[in-house]
Amino acid sequence: MSTSTTAPAGRSAAAQDSEPRPRKSSTGPVIMAVVSWVVGIVFFFPVLWMVLTAFKQEADAYTSPPKLFFSPTLEQFKEVLASGAGPALLNSLFATVVSTILVLLLAIPAAFAVSLRPVAKTRDVLFFFISTKMLPVVAAIVPIYIVVNEIHMVDNIWTLVILYTAMNLPIAIWMMRSFFLEVPGALLEAASIDGASIGRTMREVVLPLVSPGISATALICVIFAWNEFFLAVNLTAAQAGTVPVFLVGFITSEGLYFAKLCAAATLAALPVVIAGWVAQNKLVQGLSFGAVK
Amino acid sequence: MTTTIEAATAPKRAAKRPEHGPGSKADGWSRRFPLLPALVFTFIITQLPFVVTIYYSLESWNLVRPGSRHFVGLSNYVQVFTDSQFRRVTLNTVVLTVGAVLIAVALGLLLALMLNRAFPGRGVVRTLLITPFLITPVAAALLWKTTLLDPTYGLVNFVLSPFGAGKTDWISSFPLTAVMMAIVWQWTPFMMLLILAGLQSQPGDVLEAAGVDGASNFAIFREITIPHLRRFIELGIVLGTIYLINTFDTIYMMTQGGPGIASSNLPFYIYQRAFLGFDVGQSAAMGVVVAILTTIVATFALRLIFRTFSGNEGSV
Amino acid sequence: MAEVVYDSASRIYTPGAKPAVNKLSLDIEDGEFVVFVGPSGCGKSTALRMLAGLEEIDDGAIRIGGKNMVGVPSRDRDIAMVFQNYALYPNKTVGENMDFPLKMRGMSKEERDKKVRAAGEVLGLTEFLDRKPRALSGGQRQRVAMGRAIVREPQVFLMDEPLSNLDAKMRVGTRAEIAALQQRLGVTTIYVTHDQVEAMTMGNRVAVLKLGELQQFATPAELYDIPRNAFVAGFIGSPAMNLYTVPVEEEGVRLGGQVVRLTAAQRSAISAAGIKTVTLGIRPEQWTSNTTNGSEQGIAAEITVVEELGSDAFIYGKLVTDPSESIVVRGSGRSGARIGDKISLHTTSDELHLFHPDTGERL
Repeated sequence: MSTSTTAPAGRSAAAQDSEPRPRKSSTGPVIMAVVSWVVGIVFFFPVLWMVLTAFKQEADAYTSPPKLFFSPTLEQFKEVLASGAGPALLNSLFATVVSTILVLLLAIPAAFAVSLRPVAKTRDVLFFFISTKMLPVVAAIVPIYIVVNEIHMVDNIWTLVILYTAMNLPIAIWMMRSFFLEVPGALLEAASIDGASIGRTMREVVLPLVSPGISATALICVIFAWNEFFLAVNLTAAQAGTVPVFLVGFITSEGLYFAKLCAAATLAALPVVIAGWVAQNKLVQGLSFGAVK
Repeated sequence: MTTTIEAATAPKRAAKRPEHGPGSKADGWSRRFPLLPALVFTFIITQLPFVVTIYYSLESWNLVRPGSRHFVGLSNYVQVFTDSQFRRVTLNTVVLTVGAVLIAVALGLLLALMLNRAFPGRGVVRTLLITPFLITPVAAALLWKTTLLDPTYGLVNFVLSPFGAGKTDWISSFPLTAVMMAIVWQWTPFMMLLILAGLQSQPGDVLEAAGVDGASNFAIFREITIPHLRRFIELGIVLGTIYLINTFDTIYMMTQGGPGIASSNLPFYIYQRAFLGFDVGQSAAMGVVVAILTTIVATFALRLIFRTFSGNEGSV
Repeated sequence: MAEVVYDSASRIYTPGAKPAVNKLSLDIEDGEFVVFVGPSGCGKSTALRMLAGLEEIDDGAIRIGGKNMVGVPSRDRDIAMVFQNYALYPNKTVGENMDFPLKMRGMSKEERDKKVRAAGEVLGLTEFLDRKPRALSGGQRQRVAMGRAIVREPQVFLMDEPLSNLDAKMRVGTRAEIAALQQRLGVTTIYVTHDQVEAMTMGNRVAVLKLGELQQFATPAELYDIPRNAFVAGFIGSPAMNLYTVPVEEEGVRLGGQVVRLTAAQRSAISAAGIKTVTLGIRPEQWTSNTTNGSEQGIAAEITVVEELGSDAFIYGKLVTDPSESIVVRGSGRSGARIGDKISLHTTSDELHLFHPDTGERL
């Protein structure tokens, strides 16, 4: 046909054009990579500084200008642990783990009831749950304290378990609902035709599919429960104090023993940070699996 | 056979509830059943204190003078609205919340865009970037107050001193800003993760088509990416607003609301009234007002921001 | 017994609006392979899903083996379905996918293993039993979906466009396999497709649907030779039948400046209907192109496109007298026809199809 004679010439011209390109594009990504690293380190720096300071002697901790090089010591950690960090860690662990388990047990069926087999008033239900977070806890603390006192549950770790469950339930339901909505409808239909009851379908088909979402939800609950301060400080005393309470108590009594403070803060943050680091893939995967619907 | 009978009753069927299957009463309850435990639990634990709070808000009750507790109707609310400090504190709350949410979303967007490309060590950088969100707010507040913003020993001033600006006492001079910096630092990773999820869930072929159609990177970002991200950003704004309005720990640790009430937000102010002023009635009334304001702010923020993005995102 | 009866079944999404499926009535015999075909939105998938229990039966009834399925959930209907996107359980292996429906019925492990292996052999899946769906190709996944359906030995097979995600070559091969499989197993099968070639080649009988209403339910041959209305005539057969609305004259009808003769029976049918124009239908292979002189002059057309298919060629053109009317003619593969050529076409009256110009009904 008529195009046949020009084709080879056109092709070689195009080939000539495309050769220099790879050279041009290699600097851009390198700059971006460097920038990304710098941003990451700068953003992370306060945490790094906190951890570094935890290993310092008090004299090195609070200097002007700030000291970068020092001889490290474990003194501070020892002293922190000696002043009762242990019980606080156990309390936090208990409250966090148990409340998270409770949240999952309640939220998964509830999310199911507003997504895969929805109730009639789904929007109203979702709004109700999110509305429970709109009254600041600060305002309700007096009534809560009075009620808790009446039932002799002050300074009892179970009080925190219950309250943390109620605190995290709305976001857990919201998150699990989005993950459920990602499940292809045809899979549920196929299971139904195959003879599976709703329970079987959930157990064998749906839950395995959304397991990254469950991990992500659990991680969020763990973060919020572990780091909660206000309810803990008001509703606990010597027995059931959690880590944030311990940390703050530590501050007021120890004043400006800064390195010790950083050691305490590092210990306070450590469990959740490790959990977050380990599970962050699940978190990103879970959130991107359909965090928004 | 039965067809004639069914045909006779068929026109009425739309109105009558079927015996089995969806729409029947039994089906309605079987759908509600999984929801009930969570619903009942939440209702009891949250509504009971809420109702009691409303009840207290209608009383004049100061814990220092227990005998004088009596019913006063809405006068607490009147006092709340005529309290000039309350208005100042509300303004603080709005500034703090809106500012923090918007900055966190903007920064989160930038960081997410940065993380969306592959580069060596991307996983490590991402790990570093999410850490601030994992740290206890009280610890983070402490960190900012002492390590970073302290006038003499803090790093921020250390870094700024070569430029001659290293003498500011941030906590005293710019308390609200200082608090905002701390909470933005903590919440940016959350926004970043949400937006990153949005970026990574973009359909690849749509982006390729746009490239072939001749769109520049910026045009692609504006016309395709931003509309797609809209839902994720919306979620970030709603959740962020709800959590950030209730900021307490950071203010408690950094500034104690001061100087005066310069960096108090509503929850902290309520706390002062309840725990330092011992005025239960007043603080309860403020709490109820805050609950209402929060609802309004959350809805308003959404509408305002997304009116600028025209509704061009068609449903796929 | 597994005959399937649709008895005036309807699916109405919003009361007052047009039903998605409107009073569908079909009598499907035990062991029959029936195809539902029609353009997008005609309700064929909805009708299938009503049988499956995935859509409500708002009006009328659907019976399987004499039992009315209204209100009966899918799991109790003893049916199996192959979905368009296969809907395989992603976290289970192929073997587990096929094992699942049997497990739900409470069968013992040995029996289940036996059946799964048997189904695997029939479909050539034996070496894949331990793999997960994501490790399989599209064609292999399709077989797994079929395996999951046949392993149950249900009363009815339902298939919702199972071939649409395969490439063209695979489609032709799999088509024949499905037909052979169904013959072997003898299970009543309802198959939904938008591709009329699949419908014609696979079905014992075919139901053509349009906008929720049944147009015709007959064997492929009958649909082709005696379409009940203009829609069926134009839908079945590829390329589509030539349809023209033409004025009636004394001896016949006028098309392309020529008079096309009609038989006495055809003319009396037209006058009985009392119409002045009629829709005329001529299949591409019913044209002959006569270049010899003598007898009458044929209808003149100018060629616009020639499709060479090896054994045949399809020649597209427009009428010289009325270039807005197009024409399709089947010619031999070596006709040497070229764009711009003028051809002259004839047809015989007994091969013509006549339809009412307004209702589309066959005259």
